[in-house]
Amino acid sequence: MIRAHLLRWRPRPPAHAGRAEAGGEASESGDPGERERATERTPRRLPSGAASQLDPSHRSGVLVPQVALLAVIAMAIAYVRTGPGSILRHLYVIPTLWAALAGGRTGGAAIGLLAGLLQAPVVLPAVERLGLTSQTVDGLISLAAPVAIGWAVGRLVDQARERAHRLRAVLEVQQALSHEAPLEARLNLAAERIRALLGAERVGVVLGSETGDRLVAGGPGPMVLDQRSAASWTLSTAQAVEVSDLSTDPRLGRAGRPASRPVRGLTLALDAGSGPLGVLAVERLGELPAGIRAAAEEIARHLALGIENVRLTLRQRRFTGELEDKVAAATVRLRELDQAKTEFLSVVAHELRTPLTALQGFSELLIERSLPPERTSRFLRHIHGEAERLGRIVTELLDLSRIEAGRGLDLKHEEVDLAELVERNIDLFAAEHRGHRFEWVPPAALPSLSADPDAIDRMLKNLLSNAVKYSPRGGRVAVAARPALDRPGMLELSVEDDGVGISAKDLPRIFDRYVRVPNPETAAARGLGLGLCMVQALAEAHGGSVEVESLPGKGSRFRLLLPSH
Amino acid sequence: MVLLAAPFDRARPATLPVPWRAGLQIAVAALAVVLAGLALETRGGGSGSIGRTLAGAAVHAGLLGLGWVLIAGGRSGWSRPVLRLAALVVAASLVSRLSAWGPLAYLAVPVAVWAEASGRVEFAGAGLAWPTLRAAALGLAGGAFLGIHLLITSSLTFGYLVRIDAAGAYWAAVAYDVGISALTAEWLFRGALFSTTWRAWAFAPAVGFSTALAVLRYVLDPTLPAAPEVWLGAALYTGLLGVAACALRAWSQSLLPGYLATLIFFLAYRALGH
Repeated sequence: MIRAHLLRWRPRPPAHAGRAEAGGEASESGDPGERERATERTPRRLPSGAASQLDPSHRSGVLVPQVALLAVIAMAIAYVRTGPGSILRHLYVIPTLWAALAGGRTGGAAIGLLAGLLQAPVVLPAVERLGLTSQTVDGLISLAAPVAIGWAVGRLVDQARERAHRLRAVLEVQQALSHEAPLEARLNLAAERIRALLGAERVGVVLGSETGDRLVAGGPGPMVLDQRSAASWTLSTAQAVEVSDLSTDPRLGRAGRPASRPVRGLTLALDAGSGPLGVLAVERLGELPAGIRAAAEEIARHLALGIENVRLTLRQRRFTGELEDKVAAATVRLRELDQAKTEFLSVVAHELRTPLTALQGFSELLIERSLPPERTSRFLRHIHGEAERLGRIVTELLDLSRIEAGRGLDLKHEEVDLAELVERNIDLFAAEHRGHRFEWVPPAALPSLSADPDAIDRMLKNLLSNAVKYSPRGGRVAVAARPALDRPGMLELSVEDDGVGISAKDLPRIFDRYVRVPNPETAAARGLGLGLCMVQALAEAHGGSVEVESLPGKGSRFRLLLPSH
Repeated sequence: MVLLAAPFDRARPATLPVPWRAGLQIAVAALAVVLAGLALETRGGGSGSIGRTLAGAAVHAGLLGLGWVLIAGGRSGWSRPVLRLAALVVAASLVSRLSAWGPLAYLAVPVAVWAEASGRVEFAGAGLAWPTLRAAALGLAGGAFLGIHLLITSSLTFGYLVRIDAAGAYWAAVAYDVGISALTAEWLFRGALFSTTWRAWAFAPAVGFSTALAVLRYVLDPTLPAAPEVWLGAALYTGLLGVAACALRAWSQSLLPGYLATLIFFLAYRALGH
């Protein structure tokens, strides 16, 4: 009966719509008794799966023509009065087979029984009158045969349809899971399909581990998961729970009003082979026969596999998305580097040409003209200065080349008087850049520093040069040296300015090679974009580091940390 | 959703306990009255007739009482309504012997059963509800089919006559069926046994169990003529009637269609004479 219903299922609107309309809040509660009362109030408006299965009107709707045919055959046999051996009695097989094909074993057996009963007033008097003759035995066989035929054929029909139905169920669940939607929406859709396929009142799907986050989908009505519920028990033990009647089962502690029909319950673990990943819970009014249970188990297996696939797909998509983001970021970075290199080459060409032009010009003057000694001496100093500048550029480029090639910088470690080195550079920069205010308070005592003095000198010069370049005239440049309070064993040398500052988005890349942060206020400042890169490389070569704090429009503070000895 | 929201205690039994104690008390009490009635019957005369009536009434009161405690699940408070109904059954049985209109007293029993049971929460699952007209009509049609089938088959096969010799006796028997026989059968076998077992078992075993006991009740009825064909016929028709009544109870959620089917069938059965 149930299987026959299962086979005749057609998609229908969600039951809760009609239920909410008919039964109000009570029907939305989780209480089967309440739901049952709602069903009782509006028996015709609720498309209940179980009601359909046990619905004789539903069945009679299928079997009415067969019953009519039976009546016609019975009247024909009565009219011709040929007794139990009437050839017409074989016609009873037709409505029986028809009913078996239409209504399965229940339909076949019911019409077969009716056919047998209709033959009884003809066969039994003959048996009583003649005893067990070949004719009456034949009549008795004809009387019993329709029931057997109807049941057997109907059973085969049920089995065939059940298999087809299970296949369809699995396909529908897979279709539901393959929709382009968030996982919860897919599960809700799958639960609704399963509910319709199994003729269930409610279906719930729980995903998640025993202790971790859980996702609850399904319906109709609110889906709330209790940690002590049957579904949670199945999730933790991977064992199925079958409840014969949800309204009276003592294990559920519900000694309330019993429903007039039992509400069956079943929880099944969703297991794709690596332990339970969730639970499928089914509540069904009326019956939960073996066929429906087997279908539920098969659906649970496929649901588990489907969910696992969805999860893998979503994870793969997330990874793909992340990978695409990374590739895009790397592409942008490569473009920036390419651009920076192009700019670098342009700047290098410019930086090299400027001293070369000066060298060429002054040397031509000295060759072609006879100049007074003091002019000759001044020109030679210019040539010397430009040659030194050229030398510095070449040195930086060579150092950069060494860093890029992965070779270490050659450092010579010796005792460095940091205060003296800072004072010397402050004097030098103060003399060259009279528009800036340089602040330096010599510390009372500094720990000794073992480092390459040339490297320290280069780092400080780079930091001071940047501070001057990126702060306006009259700007303050403060230098300090002291033991780093937050880094025991480290010495801190800081250079602070109140210049244009650096935006937060540019901060992470200012130590990269060739990078010069564009700023309209400092567009005229010259440089290769190598200074900070060199500072970082030299600091790290000493076992130290360089840090920066900056606020756009407020200034920057570079903090060089070096190990003290 | 109950399976997700209700606390689940695996250690508890899966089904409600059978109220053996209350059932045994009723069975013993009914048996005692039956034995007393049979003892009275052996005296013969007027007291013998009363004894037989008392014994019959005790059997039906016992069946009603058993049905009551089964449906109520052995909850306390069953004794008073059961005693009231038993007293009414006995009284109706005794009154039915007083005059020609006496059997009408049987009709008070279904009303009393309805009045006692309809307001109780624990009886909500027994099928005490009004059916749809369609379900009632189906019950009537099923009972009529089986009744007519019985009349035709038995008259053609065994030569039984379809006639009503005494209208008074016929209607008295019908009143007995309405108030006692069919009522107790529907109440106990469908309302209590089928409804209870269906909660624990699948539909087919529940139908088989309750119908088998119903068939046994009719076949063992001492008022049934002692003839093999009668026993066979009783088993067949009460079996079919039982299955039909269970299906009607399950579908319509009401005992009434099955009750109507039984009544119509017995209406025909009472018209069968030798």
